[in-house]
This record gives sequence, structure tokens and C-alpha cells, in this order.
Amino acid sequence: MNVSAQAVTIVMIEDDEGHARLIEKNLKRAGVYNEVLHLASGTAAMDHLFGPHRQGGPPVLVLLDLNLPDMSGIDILARLKADPVLKLAPVIVLTTTDDDREIRRCYDLGCSVYITKPVNYETFAQAVRQLGLFLAVIQVPPTAP
Amino acid sequence: MTWTQAAFGRITLGLKMLGFLVLLGLAASFVWMVQETRRYADAVVATQEVRVAAAQLLGSLQDAETGQRGFLLTGDAAYLAPFEESEQALESDLPELGARLAAEGGNPALEATLDGLITAKLAEIRRTIALAQQDELAGAIDVVREGRGKALMDQIRGLLQGIEARALARLQDRSATLERAGGVLLAAALGGCALVALLGLATLTIAMRYTRDLDSAQAALKRANASLEQRVQARTGSLVAANEEIQRFAYIVSHDLRAPLVNVMGFTQELETALVAVREAMDRAEIEAPALVTPALREAVREDIPEAIGFIRSSTNRMDRLIGAILALSREGRRRLVAEPVPLGATLESLAGSLAHQLDARGAELRLQPPFPTLESDRLALEQILGNLLDNALKYLEPTRPGRILVRARREAGMHAIDVVDNGRGIAARDHGRVFELFRRSGPQDQPGEGIGLAHVRALARRMGGDIRLTSRLGEGSVFTLLLPDKLPAADPALQPSPEEQPA
Repeated sequence: MNVSAQAVTIVMIEDDEGHARLIEKNLKRAGVYNEVLHLASGTAAMDHLFGPHRQGGPPVLVLLDLNLPDMSGIDILARLKADPVLKLAPVIVLTTTDDDREIRRCYDLGCSVYITKPVNYETFAQAVRQLGLFLAVIQVPPTAP
Repeated sequence: MTWTQAAFGRITLGLKMLGFLVLLGLAASFVWMVQETRRYADAVVATQEVRVAAAQLLGSLQDAETGQRGFLLTGDAAYLAPFEESEQALESDLPELGARLAAEGGNPALEATLDGLITAKLAEIRRTIALAQQDELAGAIDVVREGRGKALMDQIRGLLQGIEARALARLQDRSATLERAGGVLLAAALGGCALVALLGLATLTIAMRYTRDLDSAQAALKRANASLEQRVQARTGSLVAANEEIQRFAYIVSHDLRAPLVNVMGFTQELETALVAVREAMDRAEIEAPALVTPALREAVREDIPEAIGFIRSSTNRMDRLIGAILALSREGRRRLVAEPVPLGATLESLAGSLAHQLDARGAELRLQPPFPTLESDRLALEQILGNLLDNALKYLEPTRPGRILVRARREAGMHAIDVVDNGRGIAARDHGRVFELFRRSGPQDQPGEGIGLAHVRALARRMGGDIRLTSRLGEGSVFTLLLPDKLPAADPALQPSPEEQPA
């Protein structure tokens, strides 16, 4: 297991417990043992990412469900990409629709990968792994002052 | 007052008839007047003739008297000649006067009175002449002196004057009547003219009022139309809103339905994965501790669980496809149609090209029968519709005979009608409506598909301002007729993407 990949925390913003569980299981099964922080609502995600307890340290990878009950995932994505630090974090959008307009919008806002559920978990895990490595590499300069 | 068209027609026709009758009356009066004038002229002539005849008669008598007097004065027989001539002339003069008098309308009895007087006068003259010839001149003069001849002559003259006077009086009478008639006729003519002018004016007024009424009715109609248009627009607006609502509903529902489905599918896969471990454990147990593996366990692991997972999987896959189709349809419904000139012939050629392989494989023939028009429509939508119809035609060919598919275009009710004709397996009459419904299919379910194509085709055709129609006989073939207007209807604003939906 790659050491730099270990450093990446996966922040999973997903309201559906089942989906969250499936994602976790498949990540593990694919050999991605990063810490997964599950946030079940948009509000919780905003608190964690932008709230007072916000940690500046470990780099994160965001798994984002667009269809949250309390707010639109698109808004969270926009906030993330507008933040000077968090905009570097890769975002994987996971959603149940394959609407062209929505996909385009997400890519325009700066999401790294857009994956439609039900996911082919092989591909999904592969994407997470690659983005995790990528993240570790680009995170090197700020963590080595 | 408002005129109905029938009342207007009746009234103006009545006025025209009245005017015509007045003119006819005037014409008749003029004819009568001409006749009257002619009768008057005849009367003038007759009066003149009576007067001439009377003067002639008097002249002849005076000649006779002159002859008598000359002979009595001179005893010269030469003076008897005028008398004899007059006597002869009088024979014709009297009947002449009688005839003229009768013609003129005088008293014919006068002729007899005159005859008596003239005969008496002539007798007196003859008697004096006879006395003179017998040299009894004094006796003859005595006879004259008696004054009987003069009295007779005076009587005759009086009668003749009377005749003349009466004739003149009658003439004057006629003249006065004629003058009166002329006056009346003039007045009538003036009155008639005035009446005709009045009728003309009345007709004109009515026509103008009628025209004004028509104008105001037209204006009212225009206003009604405008308000109708407004109502239609309002109704269309709410329909569009309702349609939009349905589209959103379909989108949200399918979106939300998919979330639990993802779990079902995902955890089914988990079960499948877990089953692998269970099966391995059971396989090992069969070797190491066969007693543990009961037939029930074996059946559950080997048959029941895999079968259950299989059914769950096929059902969820199917449900996933259906939801995907609803999503696609709702997305398609929100796509903005853009009009551009689309040559139907070229579009069909390219579709035929992409089907060539399948056509060959099934030994079917696709014939495009020109001419094909160029439509002002949405290219993608047209391609989707025609592609779908051709796909269906090919898919449902009757395997027992060579497939024949024909596409032709014609005009129908001011629209383009595009027929896709096939000799395939056909559609039973009871399914003609159903095949256009979402998720409904007809006939043996031996072909892949979800029953979405034709629903999509119909929704598209209607959005393009047209429609689709089916005529088919089971076992003989089908004709799908796509009706499209020359031009795509103006896009309604509600169907255009709202700013928030557009890419940033």
C-alpha cells in the first residue's frame, strides 16, 4: 500500500446508507484502505469542510452525491471549487442520473470524475485509487514547508 | 337598429320594386298622354272639316241666292248658271257636312233639319225664277220681298253657326282637358321623379347603415377573435406549464426511484459475492464433513439462492432500463427543437445506409419512392422518428416472406404525410392505440425492447406540430403515417431551457 495514498482521507457525502455502505465495501474490496469519513447530509458536509473544526492538514478526496435531501450537491461542488485550499481536492460525483446537462455542469464546475450509479465498482475503485495517488503527489509542496 | 342580411335584402328589394312601379306608372301615363294628344289632333282636324263643310254649304247656298238675285235684277239667263251649279254642289255638300258632323261627334239630326230648310230655300228660289221667266217679275220680287227666303237663309246660317260654335266649343273643351291632363302628368312626373329619388336615397341610407352594421359586427368579431386568442394563449400557457410539471415529475420520480434500485442491485451483488464464499465452504464441508451438508442446504446454496438472485437481477435490470427510458423521454421532452431545412430524401438515404447491413442480413428490401420534400423542421427529431419507424418495420417483418419496406411522401390536409409501409407481421386492430402508449407492445414478445419507441415517436411528432397514425392488418403488414407541417411551430418559451438549466 502506498504511503502517500494512505494520507488521503476520503470524504463521502452520501445520504443513502445503502449506497454509502456499498461504496465503502467496494473500496475496501478494491484495496483502497484510506480513511473514509461518511457524512450523511449536505449540512453535515458543509460543517465538516467549512465549519470551525475544519482541519487544514490531511488532503482529502471528496465523493459527492448530487441528490441530497437538504441541499444540492452542485452547490457543495461550487463551494468546494471556490475555496482556495479545498479547490485542489479531487471530487468524484456519484449520482443516479446520466443527464447530459448535469454532467456538463459538474465538469464545468471542476469535478474530476462523474460516475453514474449503479456503479461498476471495479471502475469506481480504479478511479478512486488513481485520484488518491494524484492527490498525494500534488499535495506534496504545501505539506513540506 | 341592426339589420340582418335577409331583412336588408328584403327591404332594399322592396324599395327597388316600388321605384320600378313608379317609373312604370309614369311610362303608362306618358303613353296615355300621347294617345290623348293624338285624339286631340284628330278632333282638331274633324272640327276643321266640319267648319269647312259648313262654310262650303253656306257658300253654295249664297251662290244660289246670288244667282237668283242677279237673274231677277237683270233678267239675264247667264245668272242662272251659278244657281244651277250651286244646286248641284249642294247635293254633295249636305251629305258631306252630315258625314263630317257625325265624325266630329255633333248632332246628326241637324242634317235632316238642314235638308228641310235647304229644300225649302231652293224651292223659294226656283219659284221666283219660274215667275221671272214667265215675265211676272213683280210677283217674283213680291215673293222675295215676303222675306221667306231671307228667313230660311237666316235660319240655315244660324244652324251652321251653331254647328261651328258647338264644334269649336267641343274643341276648346278637349284642349282644356288635354291641358289639365298635361298639368297632372307633369305633376305626376315630378312627383314620381321625387319619389324615385327618395327611394334611391332610402336604399342608399339603408345600404350605408347596413355596411356600418357589418363593419361594427366585423369589429366585434375581431375583438372576439382577439379575446379568443388570448384565452387560447392562456390555456396553452397552462398546458405548457402542466406539461413542464409532468416532465419534472417524471424526472424527479425516476431519479428518486433509481436510488433504492441502486441499493437493491448493489446488495444483490453483495449477496452474489457472499454466496461464492458460502459455496466454497459448503464444497469443503462436503469433503471434510459430509454429514453437515443436508440436502436442504445443498439445494438452497446450489439452486434456490442463485435462482432468487437471478430473478432479482433480471427484474432490477429491467426496472433500471424502464427508469432510464422515462428519464430519456423526459429529457427528450425538454430538448428545444430547432427548425432548419431538412431534405427528407437525403435523411432517408442516410438512414437506409445505416440499416443496409441489417436489411441484407434479413434479406429485406427498403425502397424510397421519391419525390421527397424538404421540411423546415428539427433534424434530430425527424431522424429519430424515421429511424424508429424503419427499425420497427425491419424488426417486425414476417420471417416467412421476403420483407418489403417502402417509404413515400405525399400531401394530406395541408401537411406532409410520410408513409412507412411494410409487409411485416402487422398489428391487431385492438392494439392500434396501445402501441403508441409507453411500455405497451403488441404481438409475440420475441423481440428486444421496452415499448418506448412509438411512445417517443408520437410525443416527438406532436411536439413538431404533427401526429402519427397507424393502419394495419394482422399478418399482412402496417402503414405508419407521419404527418408533419411545412414548418416547425414557433417554439413556446416554456419549453426553452431556463437560465439555471443552461451551462454556466
